Amino acid sequence: MATVRGCNLPDDLYYNIDNNVWARREADGSLTVGMTAYACSLAGEIVSYTPKKAGKEIEQNKSVCTVESGKWVGPVKAPVTGEILATNPDVAAKPGTINADPYGSGWLVKMKPSNWDGDSAGLATGAAVATGFEAKMNGDGFAGC
Amino acid sequence: MTAVTDKPVWRVIDTGVRRAAENIALNRALLEARQQGLAPCTLRFLAFEPSALLGFHQSAAQELNLDWCATQGVAIQRRITGGGAIYMDPDQMGWEIYADRDAVGSAQMEHIARRICEAAAGALRTLGVAAAYRPRNDIEVDGRKISGTGGAFDGDALMYQGTLLLRFDVERMLRVLNVPADKLADKALASARERVTSLEQLLGRLPQREHIQQALTRALAEAFGVEFHPGGLTDDEQRLYAQALQEIDHPDWVDLIHHPADERPTLEASRRFQGGTLRVRIAWDAQQRRIRQIWFSGDIFISPRRALIDLESVLRDTLGDRVEQQVLGFFADRNVDMLSLRPEDIVQLLHEAMDVQA
Repeated sequence: MATVRGCNLPDDLYYNIDNNVWARREADGSLTVGMTAYACSLAGEIVSYTPKKAGKEIEQNKSVCTVESGKWVGPVKAPVTGEILATNPDVAAKPGTINADPYGSGWLVKMKPSNWDGDSAGLATGAAVATGFEAKMNGDGFAGC
Repeated sequence: MTAVTDKPVWRVIDTGVRRAAENIALNRALLEARQQGLAPCTLRFLAFEPSALLGFHQSAAQELNLDWCATQGVAIQRRITGGGAIYMDPDQMGWEIYADRDAVGSAQMEHIARRICEAAAGALRTLGVAAAYRPRNDIEVDGRKISGTGGAFDGDALMYQGTLLLRFDVERMLRVLNVPADKLADKALASARERVTSLEQLLGRLPQREHIQQALTRALAEAFGVEFHPGGLTDDEQRLYAQALQEIDHPDWVDLIHHPADERPTLEASRRFQGGTLRVRIAWDAQQRRIRQIWFSGDIFISPRRALIDLESVLRDTLGDRVEQQVLGFFADRNVDMLSLRPEDIVQLLHEAMDVQA
């Protein structure tokens, strides 16, 4: 478990630090994807969530869903290339769940990665998580979650 | 045109009056170009042929009077930014900033919005109106909105856009938008006029468009410590624009999000108090149990009068179960005279409208 400037960033997950997204490899090889606690803090309360449809193939760094907070809209980007297996109906009904539980019930999509070994090489995990996010927060001038 | 300067140079462009699809496609293209490092930070001025613009996550069936738009030739489009539906025509000026998080000095969305809106409000003050930023996304004059804003981001690149009401036809706005205004037409007009104003109305004349643009350009240059040079679209932006227009100038984009009108009912309640009657109408998101828009009306005594309109602003996008906390917090921070009416009474009225047990 890593905490950087008050933001919880579990170090057993895989992160694209630039895009502020995490991925968890599940036992069946599928991925669960979500926004980091840091991304939630930058956004404020999320009021809308529109995911891409299940069955759609998404390239790495392309949008898996769109979120809105305080009249700002933006994409959450796929950490790896893959097919969307599922979207989160609980988040659709209550988008604030993303802020309340970003690594649990606030997950955004489940994906079937097409080339996990290749695509995940650029993702940060373990000790690299804290150092990577510390550098990003420093660059962003971020005080803390 | 180059000048010797220590300041970063940003581009300023004016893309003139365009169809809504073209303006939104340019939003997408300029933001993508900025994100890919293919274009400089930019201030863009724009204007629209008559159009109803949905927020990105809104549904036309819920927000607009579609039949009226069709008969009047009002185009319907979906923005790439958030917030609520608006009516635009050549009597309103659009302004937009394309930049990066580090160029605007913050990564926090709320701070970025504040910084840009405060600069824009400062520009309007130089034109002679007492404009101020009203969190989270409005610029107002004496409680009446003169500019609404919203943003989109893509990685570290961001686009923040605002409207500026130069001259305003309130009746037309009420016909286009499905707002929770009073049912009676004359009351709806009167209460809309309490909430919205325009440069012409405030100044008694309309300053020249170039004059307004210069004021905004100067204020934003000062706020961000930059210098603006006029420019045009790059070849990369033209290419991205052609791609974006194909997607956006299409019914599939406008219908991208569709929710039936009955999932966003208008709730209402009214109650007589010692100081008069207070009514509330709420555009209610039944799925999320969230207030999307809210209008207070009635002859209740409240001073300053704008307090109720400021409260509407605070309650927009509030979840039903957080209404009490928001209302009590709002009055705790302000000195408002309501005779014997208490903030708790307002909470109760809202709960009644939302059918929530107080």
